[in-house]
Amino acid sequence: MKRLLIASTLVVMFIAPVFAHHSPAAFEASKSITLTGTVKEFRWQNPHTWIEVNVPNEKGEQVLWAFELTSPTYLVRAGWKSNTLKPGDKVTISGRPLKSGEPGSAIFTSVTLADGRTLGERPARLGGEAK
Amino acid sequence: MNMFGRTAIAGACAAAFALASATLVAQGRGQAAAAPPAEPLSALAPENLSKPRPKAPFDLTGNWFVDTSSGPDAWRFGPPYPKLTPKAQKEYDTGMKLLKEGKVYKDDIGQCWPAGLPLIMTRYWPTAMIQVPTAVYMVSEFMNSFRTIFLDGRAHTDADVVVRTPNGESVGHWEGDAMVVDTRYFRGDHHWMDQGGASIPAGEQLRIVERIRLLPGGKQLEIAYTMTDPENWEGGWKSTKRFNRVNDIDIHEVECLPDLNDHLKSTRSKTQVQ
Repeated sequence: MKRLLIASTLVVMFIAPVFAHHSPAAFEASKSITLTGTVKEFRWQNPHTWIEVNVPNEKGEQVLWAFELTSPTYLVRAGWKSNTLKPGDKVTISGRPLKSGEPGSAIFTSVTLADGRTLGERPARLGGEAK
Repeated sequence: MNMFGRTAIAGACAAAFALASATLVAQGRGQAAAAPPAEPLSALAPENLSKPRPKAPFDLTGNWFVDTSSGPDAWRFGPPYPKLTPKAQKEYDTGMKLLKEGKVYKDDIGQCWPAGLPLIMTRYWPTAMIQVPTAVYMVSEFMNSFRTIFLDGRAHTDADVVVRTPNGESVGHWEGDAMVVDTRYFRGDHHWMDQGGASIPAGEQLRIVERIRLLPGGKQLEIAYTMTDPENWEGGWKSTKRFNRVNDIDIHEVECLPDLNDHLKSTRSKTQVQ
């Protein structure tokens, strides 16, 4: 299992910052992380959906990461449903980590599901990321 | 004392009691005998809606989403920013310093405080607008923030009566092809003109004048803002935003609930500075 990949070269891929209702100040604007782990919880709710994923660290310990997503209003337009993820699902998930380097939180950018599908957040016309 | 005498005394007492009671009631109301003014008609009163008025140049009814084609910062009202007062400059400098350190300064919106005008209009959420002859009702999907623009000719509420709010009190009128809206009476705390670094506060003296036009074709809305707040910046802060009509999105109930922040480590971490 791929553990932790700091993909700072993905700057070009992720141009526009995701505008969560939380301040983006704490999060990297041009760096992305990609983690592979197991879904602990997927909460389908407003104003933001979130995914909690257990990711093993170098010591083999499980580290809980919370990814903040946008509203279901936009997620459904990007192919999501409330049952897209369930506890136990294996996912590879990307997002913008905290500038502090503190693990555990990121602003979501995309996820690759066990069936190979990759889902983003929202269409560009609704503030989605330019790609 | 005979019967006539007792009756006369009883009658006099009753008259005196009635007079005293009437005086007390009048004093209790703070008015002697003046009739209270008639309550003005509400914006949705049939008698108000049906009053003869010139035809409105346009109808904003629909769902609108800020136009993001200019870039990811389309929601922001600066930079450039106006010259800030020392008080506001101190907040701004603190926010920018902490931004460079990867820290969040006074993220009230993130902690579920209402965004307030003008930011509520440019959140990445749709705003539903319903226009009637006497008003425009707006509901942002984000936290279902509510706003009314009164168009029935009323004046702003007396400053001693009004309840200050994050979206203020909006009174508009028509000028040619534009709806001109004057918004005052903002609540002066936990209200910011930006988020995520440029921490410019909005105070009770904030006043926002919007010149709203529906662009040809009816698919785009333009709002030219002039914002003043002598407590926090000098002169008029100008900015123009466009909004796109979105016909395939409805707005829904959206509450900001504590469990969101509870589940996000970032909002509980040392990156937060109050």
